Amino acid sequence: MIHVQHLTKTYDDLSRGKFVAVDRISFSVQPGEIFGLLGPNGAGKTTVLRILSTVLSSTSGIATVAGFDVSADPAEVRKRIGFVSNNTAIYDRMTAWEMVEYFGRLHGMPKKELTDRVETLFEQLRMNEFRDTPGAKMSTGMKQKVSIARAMVHDPPVLIFDEATLGLDVLVARNLLSVIRDLRESGKCLIFSTHIMSEVERLCDRIAIMHRGKILDSGTLSELRSRHSENDFEELFFGLLSNHESAENNELAHDVGAGI
Amino acid sequence: MSERSEQLREKAKRAGRPRLSVVWMIYAREMMDQLRDRRTLFTIAVLPILLYPLVGMLLMQIAQFTQQHPTSICIVGTDHLIGDVPPLVKTETFVDGLTDNDERLELLCYTWNGVGRHDGVLNQAKNVKETTNNWVRDGIFDAVLVIPPKFADPQARSSDQEASMQLLYNVASDQSMVARDRLTGILSKWQSGWVRQRLETTGIDISLLAPFKLADIDIAPERTREAAFWSKLLPFIMLVWAMTGAFYPAIDLVAGEKERGTLETLLCSPALRSEIVWGKLGAVTTFSMMTAILNAGSMLVTSSFVFKQMGVGGGQVGSPPMVPMLWLLVALVPLSALFSALALAVAAMARSSKEGQYYLMPLMMVTLPLVLLPMLPGTTLTAGTSLIPVTGMFLMVRSLVEGQYAHALMYLPIVAAVTAGCLWLAVTWARRQFEDEAVLFGGGDQWELSQWVRHLWRDRQRAATPTQAFSCGAIILVALFFGKLVVTEMPTTFAGIAKLVMMPQIGMILAPTLMMATVLTTSLKHSLRIRLSNPLTLPIAVVFGICLHPTYVMLAGLVSYAYPISEQATAAMKPFTDQISSAPLMSVIFLMAVVPAICEELAFRGFIFGGLVRNRGKLRAIFVTAIMFGISHGVLQQSICATFMGLLLGYLALKTGSVLPGILIHMTNNTLSVSLERIAQSTHPAAQALVSSTGGGPEYNLVWVIASVAIASMCLFYFIRLPSVDEDAKADLVGNEEEFADPTAALSPA
Ligand SMILES: Nc1ncnc2c1ncn2[C@@H]1O[C@H](COP(=O)(O)OP(=O)(O)O)[C@@H](O)[C@H]1O
Ligand SMILES: [Mg+2]
Repeated sequence: MIHVQHLTKTYDDLSRGKFVAVDRISFSVQPGEIFGLLGPNGAGKTTVLRILSTVLSSTSGIATVAGFDVSADPAEVRKRIGFVSNNTAIYDRMTAWEMVEYFGRLHGMPKKELTDRVETLFEQLRMNEFRDTPGAKMSTGMKQKVSIARAMVHDPPVLIFDEATLGLDVLVARNLLSVIRDLRESGKCLIFSTHIMSEVERLCDRIAIMHRGKILDSGTLSELRSRHSENDFEELFFGLLSNHESAENNELAHDVGAGI
Repeated sequence: MSERSEQLREKAKRAGRPRLSVVWMIYAREMMDQLRDRRTLFTIAVLPILLYPLVGMLLMQIAQFTQQHPTSICIVGTDHLIGDVPPLVKTETFVDGLTDNDERLELLCYTWNGVGRHDGVLNQAKNVKETTNNWVRDGIFDAVLVIPPKFADPQARSSDQEASMQLLYNVASDQSMVARDRLTGILSKWQSGWVRQRLETTGIDISLLAPFKLADIDIAPERTREAAFWSKLLPFIMLVWAMTGAFYPAIDLVAGEKERGTLETLLCSPALRSEIVWGKLGAVTTFSMMTAILNAGSMLVTSSFVFKQMGVGGGQVGSPPMVPMLWLLVALVPLSALFSALALAVAAMARSSKEGQYYLMPLMMVTLPLVLLPMLPGTTLTAGTSLIPVTGMFLMVRSLVEGQYAHALMYLPIVAAVTAGCLWLAVTWARRQFEDEAVLFGGGDQWELSQWVRHLWRDRQRAATPTQAFSCGAIILVALFFGKLVVTEMPTTFAGIAKLVMMPQIGMILAPTLMMATVLTTSLKHSLRIRLSNPLTLPIAVVFGICLHPTYVMLAGLVSYAYPISEQATAAMKPFTDQISSAPLMSVIFLMAVVPAICEELAFRGFIFGGLVRNRGKLRAIFVTAIMFGISHGVLQQSICATFMGLLLGYLALKTGSVLPGILIHMTNNTLSVSLERIAQSTHPAAQALVSSTGGGPEYNLVWVIASVAIASMCLFYFIRLPSVDEDAKADLVGNEEEFADPTAALSPA
């Protein structure tokens, strides 16, 4: 469903010059699978997921979603994904119902089908108590539910969650994770980015550990454990990160030394 | 490969076309969103509806206050109005026939000795002077008329200074000035009555005094007179409100949504960027128009009511004619759309609403003069003014409101074309802003000077960036402006003139360009576009320059016909032209042709063009450099010609990818301009065949004009046929429109 190959993104940045935020990463995700993108802040997760949702364009490399290239057919890609991130807020002056329905209309859904779908979603996500509450008056949890309903309204085969649990209390976060699990059961292809290890451990079928724009390693949880002969996932994660950092620093020192 | 790109192009075209239904959905949502916002509603609807009536009421209150305050006048020394003096005052009023119709006049009369303290006749003059001065200064009376004792003496009256009546008033007080005017009127009536009486007593026919009568009659129909006032004021009010009405929704719909994070939600929906832009543009335009209409309407209704109540202007202002005002609505649509597109494009750069407000201020400062210009007295719809964006439309509406349909219709094509062009540019800019991820997702980090300087140095490229190009142009124009202030008078020697020309050319055009090119780019040659991809372009450029000159002269003639050069300007330039025509030809050519051609071309068609043409900015490069080149000439007539010339030179710079042909054409053109007179005077047969000397200066012969146009067209055709070789434009293209338009262009070696 999702194929990413040698994807690279550079930003023109004032302080860092040409800054490589994503560096030749590759991975693929199958339907019925939850793929976890784990990395500390600034690793480049949001950048990758924004490219997949065609909001940003890549500098080089290939990314296809449901068979469509993100740079050649962005409109087709957008029809087949639902993107939830902590940057995709909901409108303050629209009610929950209006918001979800509006995005359904943007997807070109027929009126009857749309109403049925929104009813089902509201039922499923238990959103009926606040269906007429404007966005400005909702709690963070309510907003998150609206965002998920908004992303799911057209029943896309691919769903992308970028740090979706950020700022949610434990209860709401648990609820979200169970929604995501349900989605896997219905055969959706899911990408889930986070910097919280326990979420990945509990949720994801396969994991990629990202740091400074690179994927350090990827595979199922047990694969990773056996490959690095480390049972504690947290130790594994930090081990990889610090190895990578010292390797990078060595390289840098080497470069500087060669320069002199 | 090319087949694939063909398919891609087709696909992109189909996919990129905005769907009306989606645009409408976005428009409707944005409208609803804004209407649910209390602040927006207040500013666009409630404020105007309340504001004008409130102001009107206040005005009426103030007016009543001033009306109830009558003019108070005092006359001191009425006892000196004796003998043959005709009556001036009755008790406490002027005699009948002298006063104007205004009833509100209070008159108080004193005898000479009735004023102030009485300590002897000698001091009474001083006493009266002091007291009356105080009266006027303190506003006890608005004006005082003092009749001195000597006035009673018929002999002294007409000759002695001391016998003259004194009218005391205070120029600092409006009331006092009104009193003075009224009193002078009364006195002059009195005086002419007196003269009449004297003449009659000497037996002269008084009809001699007035050999003819004059009646001035305003033939303008009632409607025009009223419309004249309103047709000036109302469009102004409307445009200012259209502008402000566009700004706030634009900030909220773009910068505000970025800040709140809802823009990204919309961007990852199936809506296309173009659909988002059109939807938002529609909403902003609607709000701009609503604000303008409500404000203008409310003002119209209130003020016509207020004016009627106050009777201001003696019925001249009156209530506005409603039907012609409908023309305003027709003009409002494109202008609102224009302001809205500009506001959207600018607001897209901001990351928050607050930042957006900072950005819109400069935009307002740039657009306001275009709205103010038509308000200047004497500005009417002409070929010249109709070319100015916004101003032209404004003036056309004024003609329509005043009922001059034929006049307005004559300029309709120009005004419509200019407005449509501006609208297209503004919308294109807004659309580009929404496609630019650096604009939509610009980094949120703080700007720091040292970091920025380091960035400039570290990330130098072979050619200038668009921002650097814009800055270079701005620096040159500002430097030229201040340079002009320094020059106070025309030098009278050739050396002085040489300095006058060289200083701006080298110091203000070439120096900043070279400096920026050296410091900010890695290759001086590349950033100034000094290169030769096709040697044949150079001789053809020279031929083109020569054959273009007659056309250029015609253009200059046309321009000075449309915008006549004032006599003062010609006189001021006289020492300059005199010196030029008497100096040795070679020095003149060097000074007026070689130096400007090299300096200006390196700056405008070199560094600036090279920066602007990047990131598919072909049109931008041509138009912006032409306009900057035009403005740099300072004198309006020259600027217009230079802008046209700049468009052509820019096109050639694009086609040839080099600054060199431009330098040659520019040089040839200027050389011919400064030496045309000498060529006309020369006895060389070739010269005589081309140019002849006439009373109004040298002129090209008609045959040569026609031939030159033909040859110039051929040269132009040659340049058009050249394959585009612009590396700068291609350097950072990834699948852009131009590549689609010419799939082979990208494949040919750079
Ligand atoms: N628009 C931008 N301009 C410049 N740098 C950016 C921009 N967006 C993100 N970055 C940088 O790219 C890197 C990766 O960012 P991001 O993808 O947001 O990381 P994550 O989501 O993993 O925290 C960060 O160092 C960030 O500063
Ligand atoms: Mg992130």
